[in-house]
Amino acid sequence: MKEVLRIEGLHKSFAELEVLKGIDLSVDKGETVVLLGASGSGKSTLLRCVNFMEIPTSGRIHLEGKAIGSARNGRIAYGERELTQLRSRVGMVFQHFNLFPHMTALENVMEGPRTVLKCDASECRRRGEKYLDKVGLGWKADAYPAQLSGGQQQRIAIARALAMEPEIMLFDEATSALDPELVGEVLETMKELAEEGMTMLIVTHELGFAYTVADKVLFLSEGSILEQGTPAEVLTYPRQDATKNFLRGHNMFRLPEPQID
Amino acid sequence: MGYEWDFAVVFRNSDLLLLGLVNTLKVTGLALLFGVPLGLLLALLRLYGNRAVRLPVGFVIEFLRTTPPIAQLFWFFFAMPILIGVEIDPFRASVLTFSLQSSAFFAEVFRGGIQSIDSGQWEAAKAIGMNRNQTLGRIILPQAVKRMIPAFLERAIELMKTTTLVSTISYADLLYQANSIAQSTYRTIEVFTVAAAMYFVVILACSIAVRRLEIRLARSGETIVN
Repeated sequence: MKEVLRIEGLHKSFAELEVLKGIDLSVDKGETVVLLGASGSGKSTLLRCVNFMEIPTSGRIHLEGKAIGSARNGRIAYGERELTQLRSRVGMVFQHFNLFPHMTALENVMEGPRTVLKCDASECRRRGEKYLDKVGLGWKADAYPAQLSGGQQQRIAIARALAMEPEIMLFDEATSALDPELVGEVLETMKELAEEGMTMLIVTHELGFAYTVADKVLFLSEGSILEQGTPAEVLTYPRQDATKNFLRGHNMFRLPEPQID
Repeated sequence: MGYEWDFAVVFRNSDLLLLGLVNTLKVTGLALLFGVPLGLLLALLRLYGNRAVRLPVGFVIEFLRTTPPIAQLFWFFFAMPILIGVEIDPFRASVLTFSLQSSAFFAEVFRGGIQSIDSGQWEAAKAIGMNRNQTLGRIILPQAVKRMIPAFLERAIELMKTTTLVSTISYADLLYQANSIAQSTYRTIEVFTVAAAMYFVVILACSIAVRRLEIRLARSGETIVN
């Protein structure tokens, strides 16, 4: 399989606090990788380093086989233009959606193609409509974000990222801010993307989703990858105590399966 | 008491008052025309310039905001010819003073508006590959300006009233005209009543127009979430 993303020896510190302590990770084309971990374990920071919302302290990130940044005197220098260009190839979905409130759903989705890719009007429109349809919200094209539910807003945020036709999609706790009854529609959209072969790196607390959709699950603890493997390996038969504790906390209360007689 | 009101003399001189009103609107309008973009520029420099730019820009803004406008007006009108030998007529001195003076206030309005926008908006724009200028122009400013409208209107009204100071350097604005009519007719109360009413009508009309605009813009509402 073709490798889309490779992370080598990634460190990230905020002042004195070392959040990531050497992460190595490879994501192949079409693969869905889920990052799990307690809050503060560094999973969001890792995600935000991939599209350089945070600049890594050290280590190297490769996209489509090409290393980002250039080495100078033992340090990696990143040009602002290079990073802007990179971000246009990496989609990101945020916990709080962050739709542009002064634009309609369609305008939100068209904004990237229009302003960043400089597509002509008909291509912008084609992409806008295509990706709104993809998330099932073509009928809300003219609605403003304030008129939409949280779940709908998040699906439009997904469409906005997709409209750039990125090589990889990052999801940073995309369902954590949603009311429980709205979580399903967003996860469903994400699952469809995974099935269509989108390459995805996902931070989530939805273990059932991770189990069903992920090709690979990573468990982060204190800035390192503690455990990784297939969903069954990590979620059903974890080896590390930290992973076991984390899963126990998540599975403490469960609904019984319906009795079939 | 038994004061006999006589507005007839005022109406006989209405052309002079109207000319004064036009002159007032000219100074106010030009001060807005130059002051708003200059204010935006100052705000952006103060927010995003490097330290060597931020500090002097901050000083200029604070200086203009903290010194009395009449002192600034006298400085441009009386001091410039003496110090740098540039003769300046009352009209130009007025426009220059109030453009600069209002730009400082508008700079602070812009700064407040820009900073009030949630950082998630910057992140979302960055994440689709927009650079800082694109983000400012298409995402941040359109939202910020909408929030700034009431503060803008407040400043514009304040500006129009402050321009009455130009009468002190003999620029024939509405107040100057009122004063000269009052002196020649001895109908001070009537003249200033009508002049005040003219300010009232113009400013009220502007207020209503801006209020309408606000309501229309509010329809494309902002998210409750975030």
